[in-house]
Amino acid sequence: MLLFIRSPLARRLLLWANLLILVCAVSVVGAVSAFAHGERNQEPFLRMRTLQWYDVHWSTTDMKVNQDLVVTGKFRVFGDWPQNLAEPKLAFLSTGGPGSVMVKKESYINDVAAQNSTGLQKGRDYSFKLVLQARIPGRWHIHPTVLVHEAGPIVGPGKWVEVTGAVADFKYPVTTLDGRTIPDLSTWGVSTVVIWQGLWAAIGLFWLLWWMRRPMLIPRFREVASGHAGRLITRADMFVGAAILVGTVTLVVGGVSWADTEYPRSIPLQAGKMQTDPLPLPDSEVSVKVLRATYDVPGRSMKMTLLVKNETPDVLEIGEFTSANVRFINEKSETALRNVDESYPADLVNHGLVVKDDQPIQPGETREIEIEATDAAWEVERLTSLLNDPDNRFGALIFFYTPEGVRRIAEISGPIIPNFLGTS
Amino acid sequence: MTTTMEYRDRRAGSDAAVTGTQLPAKVAAARASRAFDLVIAVIAFFTIAGTFHLHFMLLAGDWDFWVDWKDRQFWATLTPIVAIMFPAAAQAYLWEKFRLPIGATLCILALMFGQWVDRILGFHMWAGLPYSLIFPTLLLPGALFMDSVLLLSRNFLATAIIGAWGFGLLFYPGNWPMIAAYHIPVEHMGQVQSTGDMVGYVFTRSSTPEYLRFIERGTLRTFGGHSAWISAFFSAFVCMIMYLVWWYVGLFFARTNWVESPIATYLGVKPKANETD
Repeated sequence: MLLFIRSPLARRLLLWANLLILVCAVSVVGAVSAFAHGERNQEPFLRMRTLQWYDVHWSTTDMKVNQDLVVTGKFRVFGDWPQNLAEPKLAFLSTGGPGSVMVKKESYINDVAAQNSTGLQKGRDYSFKLVLQARIPGRWHIHPTVLVHEAGPIVGPGKWVEVTGAVADFKYPVTTLDGRTIPDLSTWGVSTVVIWQGLWAAIGLFWLLWWMRRPMLIPRFREVASGHAGRLITRADMFVGAAILVGTVTLVVGGVSWADTEYPRSIPLQAGKMQTDPLPLPDSEVSVKVLRATYDVPGRSMKMTLLVKNETPDVLEIGEFTSANVRFINEKSETALRNVDESYPADLVNHGLVVKDDQPIQPGETREIEIEATDAAWEVERLTSLLNDPDNRFGALIFFYTPEGVRRIAEISGPIIPNFLGTS
Repeated sequence: MTTTMEYRDRRAGSDAAVTGTQLPAKVAAARASRAFDLVIAVIAFFTIAGTFHLHFMLLAGDWDFWVDWKDRQFWATLTPIVAIMFPAAAQAYLWEKFRLPIGATLCILALMFGQWVDRILGFHMWAGLPYSLIFPTLLLPGALFMDSVLLLSRNFLATAIIGAWGFGLLFYPGNWPMIAAYHIPVEHMGQVQSTGDMVGYVFTRSSTPEYLRFIERGTLRTFGGHSAWISAFFSAFVCMIMYLVWWYVGLFFARTNWVESPIATYLGVKPKANETD
């Protein structure tokens, strides 16, 4: 076609237009659906030093529409909470996923119903439970999430789940306190909305068409400009205007009257804050201080020298190091291995935690211990961008186990030194 | 090749230029005028739909998006106040220039169109949210009231005092037939919730936590349970002031000024002084 256009400018423009269309077409054809929702894009300090999730369990990974998925677990509200974030005085338990593919039937924090937000205490643990119902078929990445006011959503580990069936089969029935049965909450009241808005839209269109049926712009403008605007309003216009005025008020009053008759018992939207106490503290603890921590950049390895003080009456061994949902398990600890839930995402579990001095720690003993957590997950999960943070600190939990399998949890945090050369 | 004289004749709409269609000049002019009406009406509708919708999303935002934000206080107060701006300005322009009392209804219908397009394509089909959560607010009763008051009073001050007042006051009762169904009490997990709360709780919005809901706060709810009426009257009062301000904004932007264009001179299309009539 370009050959038939003689103007060089037009040919150039057409060529560019064709290229633009081609680029757009290629980008549309080549586009694939995005299933992630930015959990790796959250800054490491947010994931390492706010909430540490553990014991997270998914009841199933395959379900049909309307079937339940129960996600349970615990989280530690980190004591070394970042100074640049607001305190967790207002937090809300929810899910992280692509919209409402799963609906939330129930949610609990420490067995207290969590429809509303709650305050959290730093340095304390909370259990949670989410009961979800499958709504939209597909393969979805579902996280438990706690949203903290002025700190943002803090996502727990994500698990892929598969939902089969048809979205048309989804139902969420509810029985109201006035004895009414709502067959499906997703469609409840929608027909009234459509009828009411449609009725008003029809009246509005009539009003516009009433004025548009006559010439509008040029003749009317000339009349107004010539000082004869009064001629443009007829007696019929005034009559219709009065009818619209009276009809509008009458219809609104009638609508309110109908609604009050149809729904005689109504309450305002409920807003408030729930109160939840944290899980009880253990009688005795093990305290851990970070003496030095480095990150070996080429080797993708975090190395820490810890001063461990066992204040419990039990012999302890280090079983697990976990931070930002990535778990490093000490394979020499059978209890730690048993504690890895099968439903936990395998890509977030590494069985290579190296504990240099793995002799059991006796009650009352204080000892320096070196540990190493090495995995590409530091890069894959984008946790190495910690090194570019203005507040260059890391945070994690260490799980100790007694020979009987009792777990003690210690929180560690401190500055971390990047080792760019990887020589030490 | 078109001569300068023919070009000027066409611009002037002379008989010689328009009788080529074998129609009387007045009939042709009337047809052209109606075609012009239609083109402008379509352009105006979509332009208002886009701009007003953007304005409304920015200012009313979540209060308009979600059923569990449509409360007795902030939604009822804020929505008419931010919604009256475009209608007031459009009324000023269409009434003062054309004596058309349709500014408010035109704007609100265009907004309604934009909202439904957005809710269907964006909120429902793309994000998968149900209509019970995302239906838009109804503003047409107030708009029709305001237009009819302008027509009957033929006075912008009376429209501000009565029409804009009605725009604010009719808002909550005008929406009540739709939202009453979402205020039925339900027991869920041992607590009382309204059906609207339940819809918002069940159909999760990943980054919209419950604490973001700016509803039922402050001391207004202590006023003997009449928050909705107090909010409606307060909103109506502020609407009067907003109407006056935006009426003058509309007039300001409806001015017709002649500015000599240097571009015309550069392009050589500007008639020389001795060629002008």
